[in-house]
Amino acid sequence: MHYQADVADVVYRYDGTMQGFLCCVFESFRRRELPCGICSPEEGRLTLFPEREIATDPARARRVLTGIERLGGGVRQRFMTAFLSTDPEKEQILLRYLRLAFATGRGVDRMLGDPDVAAAWQLERAVNGEAHHFLEFIRFEERDGMLGAVIHPQNMVLPLLRPHFCSRLPDEAFLIYDATHGIAMLRRGNEVRYLEMEDYDRETSPEEQQWQMLWKRFFRALTIEPRRNERCQRTHCPRRFWRDMCEMQGGCLEVPGQSRKALEEPRNA
Amino acid sequence: MELAEKLEILADSAKYDVACTSSGVDRGGRHGSLGSCVAPGICHAFTPDGRCVSLLKVLYSNACSYDCSYCVNRRSNDIRRATFDPRELAELTIGFYRRNYIEGLFLSSAVVATPDLTMEKMIEALRILREKYHFRGYIHAKAIPGADPLLVRRLGYLADRMSVNIELPSADSLQRLAPDKKKSAVLAPMGQIAAESKQNRRELQLYRSAQPFAPAGQSTQMIVGASPETDRHIMGLTEALYKKYSLKRVFYSAYLPVVEDSRLPALTTRPPLLREHRLYQADWLLRYYHFSAGELLSEEEPNFNPYLDPKCCWAIRNPAFFPVEVNTAAKEDLLRVPGIGPKSALRIIQARRMQHLGMAELKRIGVVLKRAQYFITCNGYLGAHGTRAEIANALLDPKAFGVGVQQLSFDDCMPKALPDAAPELHRLTAEGMDVLQAAALLKQEAVTCITRQM
Ligand code: SF4
Repeated sequence: MHYQADVADVVYRYDGTMQGFLCCVFESFRRRELPCGICSPEEGRLTLFPEREIATDPARARRVLTGIERLGGGVRQRFMTAFLSTDPEKEQILLRYLRLAFATGRGVDRMLGDPDVAAAWQLERAVNGEAHHFLEFIRFEERDGMLGAVIHPQNMVLPLLRPHFCSRLPDEAFLIYDATHGIAMLRRGNEVRYLEMEDYDRETSPEEQQWQMLWKRFFRALTIEPRRNERCQRTHCPRRFWRDMCEMQGGCLEVPGQSRKALEEPRNA
Repeated sequence: MELAEKLEILADSAKYDVACTSSGVDRGGRHGSLGSCVAPGICHAFTPDGRCVSLLKVLYSNACSYDCSYCVNRRSNDIRRATFDPRELAELTIGFYRRNYIEGLFLSSAVVATPDLTMEKMIEALRILREKYHFRGYIHAKAIPGADPLLVRRLGYLADRMSVNIELPSADSLQRLAPDKKKSAVLAPMGQIAAESKQNRRELQLYRSAQPFAPAGQSTQMIVGASPETDRHIMGLTEALYKKYSLKRVFYSAYLPVVEDSRLPALTTRPPLLREHRLYQADWLLRYYHFSAGELLSEEEPNFNPYLDPKCCWAIRNPAFFPVEVNTAAKEDLLRVPGIGPKSALRIIQARRMQHLGMAELKRIGVVLKRAQYFITCNGYLGAHGTRAEIANALLDPKAFGVGVQQLSFDDCMPKALPDAAPELHRLTAEGMDVLQAAALLKQEAVTCITRQM
């Protein structure tokens, strides 16, 4: 370890927000200690060690954040992104990373050979990787002129999707519903809001169904049978994304007035 | 004809074109328009053959008046024909784009009547997209060989990437298999696009308001396995194309027999997928690893080894180059180590400024050590000692021995050689050998053969 702190037999409990976590970092510095656990409200209350409730104080949080910003964009970005992870160890990993960062100064983000930095980097990579998959695999549907999509991410990826989709759809209203965490990101006009949401009904209008049918048939027509390689398909597009991708669902290929046979007629007969 | 059916026919006819990337331009969104581009490109779906779908890849029409023997769309083939209308194609693109199905459009076409007429229709579709819908997403357009240079030029101002397919790796093969196409008809637009791009770059430097011409550059594609050229010939051609026409990408497409023709491989021939894969690996070595085509293959060894990737092959032939010291080596030298790619090399260089790197650090950095360990030193210590057989085993490409269960029907769950496994594996299993046994046998042979070379 490159900094002065003792592991203390205490568990911090905080409110789960980034501000709250920054206050945990503050506490850890003030007491020169490393807690043996940091728990958010979602995590079970059973711990072996005495707990200490860490109050969220915006002023303290601000101070820590300013400190982080002084360490450079790379450090800040890694922290912000990794914090979106839902890994149960993330608080511990990030606390160690930040303590090392404050002790080492700028450039710490490039010390990937260090175990603490590498651990934070892995978190960041996992979150970014997942977010990138959603840039690829989100499927919008249109309802009353507005676009809506459902996703089931492991991590809290919505904030990372925001810049991409706002740039891609500059004049559209859209909503992305994170069904895992019950949060929706709503963009309307020049404003983006995050809302709690419980449920999302899929659109069933004939026009929307028609678009999905077109897409599915396009998707199917593109497949080259002699090259079939489903393992390769799954490495690029893991199964957990399929549930929200319309082309991976069966059905809906039929068009009224057209028999199935016409679709399956071999082409090079 | 109904739109869905049209789409199906024209996607089906376009699917043998392999290039489906949306890379090469960074263009943020803007109010009043729709769409953006990001330089690395974005894939949006993966078909069951494992290929990425990034663009709405369709032909404008598949009603071809030419008769290239290797092509499904050739005049003499009896298939369903369809042709889009510019307006409906533009609408389709926008509908798919808004739903995040695609990054944009990849438009190519068979030759409808004449090359000029075809190009005019394609241009009209793109014009509607750009001018009426203010579409800022990605457009890849294929120039039709033999079209008027003015039309090629207009296409270039609407598209992000352009391509002209060279189709076959030599003029001889082209003449034999695609009698309507001349090598010069292919190379002329390629040369024109290269020249216009160059001039356009100069204009863009001078005037900010200049309109970009194919900002994502141009690419080409050739079919491998339909004609007798060696890998060495293909790599030489690839290198020359990169140099002479500053191409962004060269794509290879394993020949898939679609028609019975005495000039072509039999209909039962498997597409040479592993060979295609090796060519792509070698192509990466040219573009990102500072290799030259001459280093990869020689007159005595004109084709890639099916069991080793080209970089490992080079490493075995050049033992004197190794080991490479990770704490001091130049980036180009790091890139020659089997298992170290551009990303790992960059991370190594950044991390070593902050601390000395040993094996544990390399692992944390995310360097895959399975192969690299035998070729590097960390502060003078060899990463790992291995017998020749151990090293050979680590270097073998598992893809060549790929066995898996691919259910094509419900009662079929026997392991089989994967489509991109080595041809030898397919041959042995076709002769009736158990597939796992065949894979083990082949592996054994490959290891013996490699250790002999070391
Ligand atoms: S010109 Fe030749 S390769 Fe192109 S579509 Fe027509 S037949 Fe096929």
